[in-house]
Amino acid sequence: MTTPTSEQLTISTEPVNTEKGKITLSTVEDFPPGDRRQVKVGAAIIAVFNINGEYRAIYGRCPHQFALLSQGRLQGTVICNEQTNWETEWAYEGEILTCPGHAMEFHVKTGEAIGYGFKVRTYKVVVEDGMVKLIL
Amino acid sequence: MTLHRTDQEIEITRAEAAFNPAQDQDLGLYGKELDAMTIVDVDVHVDDTLIQMMNHMEGHYKKRLEAILQADFRGEPGNSLRNMIAHIGWLGSSYDKPPRAKLATKTELMERMDKGIIDYSILFPSELLPIAYLPDPKWAAALATAYNSYMVEAYSNLPGVKIALVVAPHLPELAAKEIAKYAGNKDVVSVCIPDVGVNPPIGNQQYWAMYEAAQHYNLPISFHGIEALVHDNYPLRVSRFPTLMQVHSMGFPFTSMLQVMSVVCEGVPVRFPKLKFCVLEAGLTWIPFIMYRLDTAYRQYRTELPALEAKPSDYIREWYWGTHELEALPKRGDLAKLIDLYQGEDTTMWASDWPHLERDLIAGFMRCDMNDTLRAKVLGKNAQKFFGLEDR
Repeated sequence: MTTPTSEQLTISTEPVNTEKGKITLSTVEDFPPGDRRQVKVGAAIIAVFNINGEYRAIYGRCPHQFALLSQGRLQGTVICNEQTNWETEWAYEGEILTCPGHAMEFHVKTGEAIGYGFKVRTYKVVVEDGMVKLIL
Repeated sequence: MTLHRTDQEIEITRAEAAFNPAQDQDLGLYGKELDAMTIVDVDVHVDDTLIQMMNHMEGHYKKRLEAILQADFRGEPGNSLRNMIAHIGWLGSSYDKPPRAKLATKTELMERMDKGIIDYSILFPSELLPIAYLPDPKWAAALATAYNSYMVEAYSNLPGVKIALVVAPHLPELAAKEIAKYAGNKDVVSVCIPDVGVNPPIGNQQYWAMYEAAQHYNLPISFHGIEALVHDNYPLRVSRFPTLMQVHSMGFPFTSMLQVMSVVCEGVPVRFPKLKFCVLEAGLTWIPFIMYRLDTAYRQYRTELPALEAKPSDYIREWYWGTHELEALPKRGDLAKLIDLYQGEDTTMWASDWPHLERDLIAGFMRCDMNDTLRAKVLGKNAQKFFGLEDR
């Protein structure tokens, strides 16, 4: 697997608590707002984010040309629809994951590929006993 | 995909947002399969910003370049000829979404080559892509000369790295001299004509001196476009479209279609039968359109083209094509069908446009269904033939 960044920190390469499909990622203290993780499970990759205290997880490769979404910047985007009275507005600040490959955008809360009409898979993340756990 | 198995290896890593475009993350996905082939990336760009050319300029043109480099631009477009001419009208329209345009250093280029997947990189210009639009022919030619001097000095004798010269079509006789000057360099493998803004069209007889030189020295011609110009430009007038998306999408292929038509209908392939041509960065889906559209018109208007000895598609079929920017065809088997439609099994060449903004990752090509023979040809064999490259 290609490393996400040169600064990556390998936390574990051993199977970790996969009971009931849960993977323990970290303590809450070690996974503060703004932090993110890339989780590789077999051949699949999942990107996990702490966005202002909310943990969100999304399938980790862009469906376009497979760039790693864990490296995407979280920003807002422009929308224009009936709710905005067909005016262009800036929306979803901090929730839009932009692919580092060619800038496809995904709403990290829903997996929606903005402007494409499909979703990529999202996953639940829970906190149990001070531990952040990804549910597969 | 089932992820509930407990015997799968799990790897958790801390990740960070990237502020540069993702590069080559996909090479490892196909490493084994690609290892067995000679892979040629026929459209690679390195840092050729104007400051690199300073030491390759002389006299008053060096002073002119100094003046440009002293201009106080903040942020984009910087001192970038390309951005100043091509992109400034749409500045900021992507709301600073990454990935941002990037230029590769020599170190980055060699790191990419050292991964052992890409066997050859053919270097094409970035900054000088709008050169044909420059209104001062001698200034355009001076920039091309400085570019060639810089590139040959900086990128010769590197394993797997090959160079396309740039010529300014304004002054074909000077262009021919430039071709002659570097023809003996084993790392110079093509003559690039930036084809946007060329007026009259590139097949016109006034340009034939450079075609004659290229044929004489057995250097193939590569046309490389640029998507946008903020001015009304020839042969397209795309500058009034409000979004860069529209200009980008149509600028490359329509320019290419018009220039291919010009070369063929002016009889260039008849006068220079050994000269090879390719088109880069224009996608592929338009190729059957221009081939067979011209064939239809040829029946009625053949007497306007008395030099042609065959129908237009018979000449165009001999051209080579870079795959970038791969169009978003709906089915994985569509690319092979498209190639069959324009009879391009022996002329289609994989191109990434690395590391530019819209570069294609190799995974984008590898996910397309095709037989192994065609895949090997597109990934390398066709380019080896076009550029004259040995197996690596």
